Amino acid sequence: MYLLYSFRLALQSLWREKWINLLSVLTIAAGLFMITLTLFVVYNIDLATKRLPARFSVMLYLNDGLSEQETGSIIAQLKKNNAVEQARYIAKDKALEELKGVLKNADYILEGIDENPLPASIEIKLKKESVNIASVKKFAAEIKKIKSIAEVEYGEQFLNSIHSIKGMAKAGSLSLIIIMSAGVIFVCYSTIKIAFYRRKEEIETFKLLGATRGFIRAPFVIEGSVLGMFGGIASMAAALAFYHVLFYKVTATIPILKILVFPFETFPALPIVGLLLGIGGAVIALGRIRFS
Amino acid sequence: MIHFSNVTKFYERQAAIKNITFSVEKGEMIFMTGPSGAGKSTLLKIIYLSEKPDEGSVTIAEWDLSKLKESSIPFLRRNIGVVFQDFRLLDNRNVFDNVAIALRIRGMLDSEIQDWVMEILKMVNLRHKADSFPQALSGGEQQRVVIARAIVGEPTILLADEPTGNLDPDTAAGITRLFKEINARGTTVVIATHNRELYRNTGRRVFRIDSGNIVGEEIG
Repeated sequence: MYLLYSFRLALQSLWREKWINLLSVLTIAAGLFMITLTLFVVYNIDLATKRLPARFSVMLYLNDGLSEQETGSIIAQLKKNNAVEQARYIAKDKALEELKGVLKNADYILEGIDENPLPASIEIKLKKESVNIASVKKFAAEIKKIKSIAEVEYGEQFLNSIHSIKGMAKAGSLSLIIIMSAGVIFVCYSTIKIAFYRRKEEIETFKLLGATRGFIRAPFVIEGSVLGMFGGIASMAAALAFYHVLFYKVTATIPILKILVFPFETFPALPIVGLLLGIGGAVIALGRIRFS
Repeated sequence: MIHFSNVTKFYERQAAIKNITFSVEKGEMIFMTGPSGAGKSTLLKIIYLSEKPDEGSVTIAEWDLSKLKESSIPFLRRNIGVVFQDFRLLDNRNVFDNVAIALRIRGMLDSEIQDWVMEILKMVNLRHKADSFPQALSGGEQQRVVIARAIVGEPTILLADEPTGNLDPDTAAGITRLFKEINARGTTVVIATHNRELYRNTGRRVFRIDSGNIVGEEIG
């Protein structure tokens, strides 16, 4: 019933201290913008690692002199493995041809080599879910047991690096998000605490006239949520400006940045996150209201 | 309506009131008198739950204060109108809003508040000052705003702490008349004062308090 009046009180208070409140909104916006940037970085790292399975392959180098039947039996055996998506046989001649293609103008390196030094091989594409360190290691260990396979190569170090980069990015971003969220809560907490002390006399009178905790708290919680929400809206504007500068200005000089993707779906969440953090800050600032 | 039984209240080991026992009946109007620092304000503070007694028991309108939950305090306070010694008016709100706040706290709608507040302001003869701010009012007018705020919620008990403290005799007489009118409507009224004129020839009970004790009871 008193919510309308609480809104009026909150808006009056916000207007009375408009410059301090504007400063709070901008600080909250800066915090939420940092969270958005963090999510942008993590989102792109995640996308890059998701693209990895399509490019990742395990190479099996075969012993020389295997018959067609023996090679066919190895491929059949590999295809039975649940982790395998595709297995492609590369004959010695084909391997040399591919190498020449890769070397292009530098194919003089191969001049003077009479005999093809490359072994026949099988290139294996694994299923998406199997492209992780544990599964690949297990798979490599299994296929090493197959006779006639000279060597298994799968870029263990590369996989490890990607895994640790992803892990570090996730841990770092989570810490940053927690710190920034705590910062936003603290800004709301301080602003509401100051507003509360400024109106301490008035609140004491309200209590003596029979005001409930809800009546006393409501205007401050509304103030906190408005500060948080406007901080969220301002951070949304900053993120849009960042997107515009990055994708229209910076990519003109550094085209490779075009592969980056901006997580637009996080945008509408910013005012809501701001609002919730604002409410959190206000509730902590008000603490327990005592009547006697 | 109000019952004190062996109530004692200490402030920093000094007893402000000592072992006080008295009762006030429903619809009664009583006075508490005595010098400054006698304990009158402490007694009123205990009634409107601003202070807790250290010893003894207090019952207000069937509510045993020792068993009252903190969350119930606001609802009991809505039954008690208080005319504070220091007025406690909100300087940034006009007379209308100062009175209306007591109803807004009770969750009343603006449409209901408008007429009712104007009715009460008419009763205390301040209708024409509804838009004025407290600083623009005389002491007597401020006192009447506080009385209007105290009675607008139709409390069953009205407490007044030195209601004529700084007022001239004519204004004080007007305030006294107002309390009698409020009492005549069935509200229990407790007035703490050291102004003898306020209770002389009223025919009401007067408790004489000194050094935290009730030292006498007479009819004014």
